[in-house]
Amino acid sequence: MREFIEVLITGFTIGIVYYLVAVGFTLCYGVGRVLNYSYGSFFTWGAYLAWVIAVGYAQLNYFLVFIVVLPIMFLFGVAVDQVLIRPLRNRPEFDFSVLLATLGLAVFLDNLVLVIFGPRTKSLPAFLEGSITVGGFTISWQLVAMFIFALVVAVALALFMAKTRTGMSMRAVAQDPMGARIVGIPLYRVFAITFGISTMLCGAGGILLAPRFFMTPLGGWTFLVKALIIVIAGGLGSLRGTLYASFLLGILEAIVGWQLGLLWVMPFWFIVLFAILLVRPAGLFGAIGRKG
Amino acid sequence: MLEVEGVSTFYGEYQAIHDVSLRVESGQLVSIFGPNGHGKSTLLKTICGLMKPASGVIRFEGREIQGLPSHKLVEMGVVLISEERHLFPEMTVMENLRLGAYAKSARKKEAENLELVLTMFPKLKDFEKKAALTLSGGEARMLAIGRGLMSDARFLAIDEPSFGLAPILRTQVFEQIVALRDRGLSILLVEQTTGDIAEQSDYIYLLEDGRIAFSGSKDEALHDDVVRKVFLGIT
Repeated sequence: MREFIEVLITGFTIGIVYYLVAVGFTLCYGVGRVLNYSYGSFFTWGAYLAWVIAVGYAQLNYFLVFIVVLPIMFLFGVAVDQVLIRPLRNRPEFDFSVLLATLGLAVFLDNLVLVIFGPRTKSLPAFLEGSITVGGFTISWQLVAMFIFALVVAVALALFMAKTRTGMSMRAVAQDPMGARIVGIPLYRVFAITFGISTMLCGAGGILLAPRFFMTPLGGWTFLVKALIIVIAGGLGSLRGTLYASFLLGILEAIVGWQLGLLWVMPFWFIVLFAILLVRPAGLFGAIGRKG
Repeated sequence: MLEVEGVSTFYGEYQAIHDVSLRVESGQLVSIFGPNGHGKSTLLKTICGLMKPASGVIRFEGREIQGLPSHKLVEMGVVLISEERHLFPEMTVMENLRLGAYAKSARKKEAENLELVLTMFPKLKDFEKKAALTLSGGEARMLAIGRGLMSDARFLAIDEPSFGLAPILRTQVFEQIVALRDRGLSILLVEQTTGDIAEQSDYIYLLEDGRIAFSGSKDEALHDDVVRKVFLGIT
């Protein structure tokens, strides 16, 4: 029983990190109408950049990783939006061309990792060693740090979306792009900021989850698929659905990993997704025929 | 204040606006009437930077504005109130209004304009916290107009403000529009049918098949045989 509760705590923590990754993915689609196939590669790059800074070259303090990598990821996202995606907007078949363009970018980024870092797996050590025991439960400091950091980012994001002018303008563009233009919101700037934030969230996920997995040049694809499953399970476009699906699937992952091994995680995710869609075809909080 | 010269606009291959010219002087209420689907909305969208004209010149206070993106125009004070409303459905009434004052030029007077809008449409205050998608047609129309006013516009293009409104509301909305003109705003209004608003207009255009079929003061319009017959249905 004690072990089970520890597993639940782990699952909950992974869940909140998955939420960051999935929300970045869904923002990018909801606001910018970009189904970003290079999202997994951004994840990989987030993790490798963290490795460069903490282990590979600079060997700086772990917490500097966040301060250095997240702004880089944001700027990288903005650059991708400006260079690759913006020229495709206002052309016919944007939905499809952007899919191909981001897929191409993914192949490029993955191979860049391969060229620079080689094919061998790398690993990030835990940020913090040791563990604490509270009321008989043993929790690693690593998990505590992960939880706190992910929670801070998630709350900051929620406040940003609810309260700031930029956050409001992002929601406005997602809900009615023409309405956004009418009130004078510069669409392309909002698209660029959204892409930057999305990339940054993905990078944060990469940094936080890298110590749990081995890093490989193609490792990010799993997380693209995971983000997709979470977003679909929760209901496309529903942030609340994304939140619940993240916790559900995070906890499932921890339990399956504990009982059967991590290899079984993805099959179980798919089974649960299938079950959810059988009962609720639009996902947990999705509405069929939802506008947009 | 606003001059449109020889503007043509296309939807793909289809030409919706043919070589249209018109002007709105400072502080005037100018109305464009015409049947549905004859290019009135397209014309307003073209003026407000939501569609690009294929040819022609649009000047606002002497400056050429054709082809400028809408956010630049809103910043300059050229604002559209769309017939399709384009509210933000999942945001509250208050959030919709606040986004109306998104432009930098509007922020200084945000509190003042909010006051004005809420006095104009007191109902919006009661619905402050309701999501826009829960509003009735008439309420949503008021919100769209209110949101447009939050932009602190100097030139308002209003597309069929009375569409789908009950007669009482319709009169109210027209009264408010006339009041706005009397406060010094320049207004270009589009409607399908004439009526009270024609009486109050400083100048009238008739748009047919994307072309200006008539232009003149309201007295000239009332005495023009073509307008009377084809358009007002008076013989």
